[in-house]
Amino acid sequence: MAVRTFAAIDVGSYELGMKIFEFTNKGVVREIDSIRHSIELGTDTYQRGIIDMAHMDELCYVLSDFSAIMKSYKVDDYKAYGTSAIRETKNTAILIEQIKLRTGIKVDVLSNSEQRFLHYKAAAIKGARFDEFISEGCAIADVGGGSIQISLFDNDALVTTQNIRLGVLRSMDMLAALQPRTRDVEGILRELIDNQLHVFKKLYLKGRSIKNLILIDDYVSSMLYHTGSKDRSFTADSFKQLCGKIKTLSPAEIASMYGINEETVPLLLPALSIVSRIIKITKAEKIWSPGVSLCDGMAYEYAEKEKLVHYRHDFENDIIACAKVMSKRYEGNEERNELIERIACDLFDATRKIHGMGKRDKLLLRIAALVGDCGRYISMEAGAECGYDIIMATEMIGVSHAEREIIANIVRFNKMQFRYYDELASQSLIDRASYLKIAKLSALFRIADGICRSYRTKVGDVRFSVKGNELVINVYTVDDINLEQGFFFRKASLFEEVFSIKPVLKYKRR
Amino acid sequence: MKDFESKDLYVNRELSWLMFDERVLGEATDTSNPLMERLKFLSITASNLDEFFMVRVASLIDMQHAGYNKKDIAGMSVDEQLAAISDKTHELVDNQYFVLMHTLLPLMEAEGIHVITKHEELTGTQAEFVDRYFEEEVYPVLTPMAVDSSRPFPLVRNRTLNIGALIGKKGEDSRDFATVQVPAGLDRIVEIPSEAGRSFILLEEVIERNMSKLFLNYDVFCAYPYRIMRNADLTIDEDEAADLLKEIEKQIKRRQWGEVIRLEVADDIDPGLMEILKMELSVRSDSIYRIAGPIDLTFLMKMYGLGGFVNLKKKVYLPKPVPEINDGADIFEAIRNHDILMHHPYQTFDPVIDFVKSAASDPEVLAIKQTLYRVSGNSPIIAALEQAAENGKQVTVLVELKARFDEEHNILWARRLEQAGCHVIYGLVGLKTHCKITLVVRREEDGIRRYVHLGTGNYNDSTAKLYTDVGLLTCSEQIGEDATAVFNMLSGYSEPLYWNRLCLAPLWLKDRFIHLIEREEKNALAGKRSYIVAKVNSICDREVIQALYRASCAGVKIDLIVRGICCLKPGIKGVSENITVRSIVGDFLEHSRIFYFDNAGNYEVYCGSSDWMPRNLLRRVEIMFPILDEGLKKKVIYILETLLADNVKARVELSDGTYERIERTGGEAVCAQETFCEWAKSLVKESDTVENSRVFIPIEGA
Repeated sequence: MAVRTFAAIDVGSYELGMKIFEFTNKGVVREIDSIRHSIELGTDTYQRGIIDMAHMDELCYVLSDFSAIMKSYKVDDYKAYGTSAIRETKNTAILIEQIKLRTGIKVDVLSNSEQRFLHYKAAAIKGARFDEFISEGCAIADVGGGSIQISLFDNDALVTTQNIRLGVLRSMDMLAALQPRTRDVEGILRELIDNQLHVFKKLYLKGRSIKNLILIDDYVSSMLYHTGSKDRSFTADSFKQLCGKIKTLSPAEIASMYGINEETVPLLLPALSIVSRIIKITKAEKIWSPGVSLCDGMAYEYAEKEKLVHYRHDFENDIIACAKVMSKRYEGNEERNELIERIACDLFDATRKIHGMGKRDKLLLRIAALVGDCGRYISMEAGAECGYDIIMATEMIGVSHAEREIIANIVRFNKMQFRYYDELASQSLIDRASYLKIAKLSALFRIADGICRSYRTKVGDVRFSVKGNELVINVYTVDDINLEQGFFFRKASLFEEVFSIKPVLKYKRR
Repeated sequence: MKDFESKDLYVNRELSWLMFDERVLGEATDTSNPLMERLKFLSITASNLDEFFMVRVASLIDMQHAGYNKKDIAGMSVDEQLAAISDKTHELVDNQYFVLMHTLLPLMEAEGIHVITKHEELTGTQAEFVDRYFEEEVYPVLTPMAVDSSRPFPLVRNRTLNIGALIGKKGEDSRDFATVQVPAGLDRIVEIPSEAGRSFILLEEVIERNMSKLFLNYDVFCAYPYRIMRNADLTIDEDEAADLLKEIEKQIKRRQWGEVIRLEVADDIDPGLMEILKMELSVRSDSIYRIAGPIDLTFLMKMYGLGGFVNLKKKVYLPKPVPEINDGADIFEAIRNHDILMHHPYQTFDPVIDFVKSAASDPEVLAIKQTLYRVSGNSPIIAALEQAAENGKQVTVLVELKARFDEEHNILWARRLEQAGCHVIYGLVGLKTHCKITLVVRREEDGIRRYVHLGTGNYNDSTAKLYTDVGLLTCSEQIGEDATAVFNMLSGYSEPLYWNRLCLAPLWLKDRFIHLIEREEKNALAGKRSYIVAKVNSICDREVIQALYRASCAGVKIDLIVRGICCLKPGIKGVSENITVRSIVGDFLEHSRIFYFDNAGNYEVYCGSSDWMPRNLLRRVEIMFPILDEGLKKKVIYILETLLADNVKARVELSDGTYERIERTGGEAVCAQETFCEWAKSLVKESDTVENSRVFIPIEGA
């Protein structure tokens, strides 16, 4: 078909949105409809931990309507994602089931990092402007209802990404609790934000020069759009002036002057404070608000998956860069980790027919290889468990919670004895498919790690070939690898168990 | 800066409206109009006045009851306004009947048209005919009602003509009240045999003459026609109404019992009968109108509609085809070729109907969305929408249930459309959806394309032959996006983060108008070009008027073409000396809303559904759309220039708020509406000339 249509549904903290996209065979993506419905699911979740019946009914009613709209466009496919309000509510599973039963729409819950990655992708596909901004020290501030995600770039590469649990709606809820006792609402808000950003500044901004800020949000961006900047960019000074001016205006005047719905002005004001503080702390000089949403990122994801469009930016590279920064933070052996990564990748490719896994799984293996020794930073003795805990506690942009768990387990089972499904499932929510991935990727990782067992990197060239029931590994090196050979059997047993193929290590001196 | 708050700078909106009705009456006295046209104008003054009472006077009376004492823009309290309206209306009604009885009926008589207004004037043959007609046609449908101690005063329905009588049992002295409604289902004018020319009698005279046949065993002492007008305002609490459709249905029924705000009686009515009516209907003395002629002049429109009398009427103008859309051609292709501007009724409304019809049957069309405010009796648009739904299209129709006096009508349409499978929405709480927009979503080879029709007038094929309106057909991506957002918003979804081209009330429209006016003001102050032309039906928004006054003081030339209410006073030194206001009352009802802002030479042209009234700008969903194509902009400017050049049907407003005809001292007479008729004809001829040209032009070599 020449043209494909796709619907992206975002079940957000304060808004339910749907965008209909069209992909032409010329690689053009066009937004053809955008529907938004205000619904403060976040208030329920953040205050009471549960989404109430009334909101549930409203949600299902609107989603049914979305379903009808999708039909009217005869969309070829759709994706619905729930974000923090759905993710953090206690009744997520029931909610998702109800939605499916009542509307026919399947909502998948995005982890924070996946959600932010989609936002980030949406900004990145804007092309030249994005490339220009990240070419110098750059921060991406993604201000949501429940939290803020700040990602730092240096020389085109993503350095780190951190989540700060203080979004627009959450800060409003916190303020609502404090308001009766004070009149200095703005001061309190500033204090709340600064407290959170202070740690971030100390940990990540030290010695780093941030010149540019990319802002992803709903309200400030829309206001900035109405100030008339054609390329949606501003200097920090002009932004400051704008904030000063807004403080002198009534909600009605703000709504009228900046083309925003008066009802959303109460959300705009904390959003402005948050953005102002981020600018102050990062000392960014230029701000660009591309005006993108989760739905835009979802469209990108779909187009990428369906091979409908080709974008210049390598997002996988961002994830890898992030993993490397993480490894650096925990004093990992960069040289060795990269060697294991290379060997693991070669092994993955050579045994593709045996394991049947795909590109995304290979990425998980690469990440595991790059951060595999992070636990040693905490304890040499319990490095495997510590590695698992560090990975589980560290957000990696573009990697879902479930994927992070796979990576953490691969790292854990590299050193520890592998655990079977029943035992593993009793400790976490891992499903069978993920478990199998853990098993297969662990088997591969252990081989790669076993080949360069010592923490010196002596292995030169490694070649893999499958012959009958054997995986033949030829290692070409000038060094003595007796240690590797000695330990190899212990590392190879899982591979044999998982794939019923015996790994055989052959050592060839150059 | 001047604040322009003085009440002397404004005209009361009700009095301004009554002046508009006077201008319409002026057309009934204009000897350059054919006789039947003059009757039509007189009839329009009457139906206008009815609506004015049911809506405006009723609303003022509600305010009076509620003790509302805020003064209006012209500094008048509610009591003062009602008193002034009463004085002015009595004068207007006297003038209406003077024109009818002393000018038009004698002129008709001279043309051989005899209208018998008193049954006593019938000849013997005519009387015989009338009595037979009564017995055969009228009597069976009459429901006479007498009032006595056991029978209470009956419900007299709003706007119905009735005959009140005093009757008494034969041989007894007592006098009771009796009433009978003149049946609305029968023709008000009855043609009767005539020795010369044609003769007519009014139905109430037929009944009055035969009154005694209705009350056998009674003496009929006297019988006179009367008519009442009730407060017809609906009071709906939309927030509380679970089902708006049902709530409105309920309210419409309740309207029959609204307070009587006007009683019309024959001027020679029996004092006893008058007293009973006054008391039973609880009507105030100043709300009683003694009529020196037939009550309810809307029958004159029926008279106008009678066959014959061609020499006494203007030749009926048939709307001309729109040259950009060839008969039978693909309308979507025509729109893809170029934006199309239509000027109704000079150009036919058919392309708009075809647009919806084609969409209904086109397999590539996915969805049709439309707003409906007032539609015609047997609307082809409704039929097309039903067909579309049956053909599996997603059809979303916003039916405005609160469209005044069309509520019942619209409930019927809404139900019919729902039954056909359309998704019917009733708009937004507290707001009337007055904008006129249709969106057709079509799946084409290169993706979804949206076709949009935006208009200044209703989707009503009947009124489109009488009202002047402008419509735009476009497939502009930006307007298409905005149109989608409009329907999303009307369906209850949030407004989009930004609008490309359309400007909506009550969101931004008022601010936008003020911004556009202020931009001209700034340009004038900076010594740049500045000019504003606005054509609307009414101007009564204080802030808009004050912005215009400020602009005028800055030197902006402002030409306003305002058909009806205009609370602004032009030509006041130091306030509005650069403003002119003219009103055009012609054969067609001026209805289009067009705006021109010079913008220092980079002129902008807009059309829309909104007047400069608070109700449009604050309580209705209205759309203003830009005309972007340079060629079409010029067309619209030509329309404005022609209207401003009119010296036949235009009246100019003076600085005291009154109007006078334009003095034409030897110059060429320009009647804008006639000019547009000729223009529409010439456009068709031009396109015919090109298409049917038999001149073959060889392609020249390089």
